[in-house]
Amino acid sequence: MSAISAPAPASRRRKRIVREPQRLLPRWLQVVVITLLMLMLLPVVYMLIISVSPDLDAASAKLWPSQFMWSNYLKVFTTVDLGRGLMNSFIASFSAALIATIFGLGAAYVLTRFRFRGRAPLLSSLVGLQAVPATMIILPLFVVFSSVGSALGVQIIGSRPALIVTYLTFAIPFSTWLLVTNMRQIPTTYEEAAMIDGVTRFGALRRIIFPLMVPGMVVAMVFALLVGWNDVLFASVLTNPDTQTAAIQLQVFANSTDGGVLPLYGQLMAASLISAAPVVVLYMIFQRQLVGGLTAGGDKG
Amino acid sequence: MIQDTSTPGAASPAAPGGARRGRRRKEYVAGGRPLWLLSPTLALLVLVIGVPFLIGTYISFFELDQYNLRNWVTAPFVGLKNYADSLNAALLLHSIWVSLAFAVLTTAFSAPIGFLAALAVNTRFRGRGLVRSLFLVPYVLPSFVTATVWRFILRPDGVFNKVLGLHNMQWLIGTNSFWALVLVDIWAAWPFVYMMTLAGLQAIPDELYEAADVDGVTWVKKIVYMVVPQIRHQLLLGLLLSTLNHFNNFTLPFVLFGTPAPNDVLTLQVNIYQTSFQYFRFGLGSAMSVASLILTLIPAFIYLKASRLTAAPGEE
Repeated sequence: MSAISAPAPASRRRKRIVREPQRLLPRWLQVVVITLLMLMLLPVVYMLIISVSPDLDAASAKLWPSQFMWSNYLKVFTTVDLGRGLMNSFIASFSAALIATIFGLGAAYVLTRFRFRGRAPLLSSLVGLQAVPATMIILPLFVVFSSVGSALGVQIIGSRPALIVTYLTFAIPFSTWLLVTNMRQIPTTYEEAAMIDGVTRFGALRRIIFPLMVPGMVVAMVFALLVGWNDVLFASVLTNPDTQTAAIQLQVFANSTDGGVLPLYGQLMAASLISAAPVVVLYMIFQRQLVGGLTAGGDKG
Repeated sequence: MIQDTSTPGAASPAAPGGARRGRRRKEYVAGGRPLWLLSPTLALLVLVIGVPFLIGTYISFFELDQYNLRNWVTAPFVGLKNYADSLNAALLLHSIWVSLAFAVLTTAFSAPIGFLAALAVNTRFRGRGLVRSLFLVPYVLPSFVTATVWRFILRPDGVFNKVLGLHNMQWLIGTNSFWALVLVDIWAAWPFVYMMTLAGLQAIPDELYEAADVDGVTWVKKIVYMVVPQIRHQLLLGLLLSTLNHFNNFTLPFVLFGTPAPNDVLTLQVNIYQTSFQYFRFGLGSAMSVASLILTLIPAFIYLKASRLTAAPGEE
């Protein structure tokens, strides 16, 4: 601040500038923030500990198990039919993701490459539809499924296709929108050049657009898959014990441990971790793309 | 790129490529315009969202319950009775208030955390990749898992009370339940704001920071006057989306408290679920859904209008 002491700090500061211009917080605050936020992971650590604890330790809120019960991870597959639940979750959410991505690719291509009447409202509705509360969709679908089912004499509610159809309600707007933001980044000149060389529109779509869009499609699929995997509302209304997803099994299991009917806390936490693992792994693999996709609406500035 | 319309005579023979970009493209595009590629998506959208939406609005005017569910067309018309009932008997206003308070509070608390987190990992340091990944963990855990774990942690004789030295405090019933819900959702949702902020920060060029450093600006001023205005757009989007997400969050309160939910955490979505699928008053549930849809679409619509999110770069 004063004229005499100015040179020394100035030179020190300049040295720091060169190395890290992006520093926004002073080091002490940075350390405090990161440490505090790391402490927020304690519930996850606790979940890991409980999953290998004997149930008595878990019930008395012991912080460290008296013995390690690795068997919890095996037993849980017989206590609840978790294998079937995981399979059901996967089939339903993967099918919806696949359908939405394939359909969405065509739609995204048309929406980014051509101008036509109704294009702008359609784009807006892709974003707007994501704000529609899921209860608004599930209720009428439930009514339709049950009446059509009884008219045709088939059980629609509880069947897998019914669940897949409801998953499409969020998967389609979302995947299409994500693919639109991706496709915008591919210059039109690529296809134009190919078509000048005599390739048809579909040839260009297949040989140029498709390979360039593979990463975007993977992200769209992974995203739709994750939302389906995490769903509780649709599955709780539309599944029966045979088609129950892992999310519903876990919720039912948690309810029964809570009432003290089945106090298998270790297994409950093991089941939680098992059904969370695929999601966390997928996120970590596609972290960069998924974060980009989530914030896709915002990168226009 | 260059306006070929201003000098039509000179430009078109000299630069045929430029002319094609301008006018002719609308009339003739090489390879045709396969607009039908849109139709499967459009058809599905109409089928799985449009039609249910209309049916939902329709049955909100009818007395539909589990007895006439199978042939819902025969349900008696009751006009606006369901809407009146949702205000009086079904605690619609109470639920809207709970959801709104919950959404606003959660966003208000989680936004500064996420913002600070993003600022903290903006510098390179050893282990930054790991820290960034770990930050995402609460967010990427499925909601039903988060709720299951916290339900166990928050039991009266659970570890939360034990660590804080509270004796048999009830978190899952009574007035505390609202704060339990806010707490758990903050825990789960702050990484969303963190991600939005980080995306914004990545777009700030180093020169800007350097200019600020050369001027000797303090870190607080640097954040307030330089960073925040630069990432304003991402921040606002993050706040809006996170408020909407909290407002529409069904899984967390549903799994955390079970049904019937305590009155203090009877959020709008849980209320609609209970009315429809546990009391089987489908007409009433639909009326409440319509009300909740209108409530959520207002901010979404304003946002769309304000941000022109759907316009591609370069369009109007």
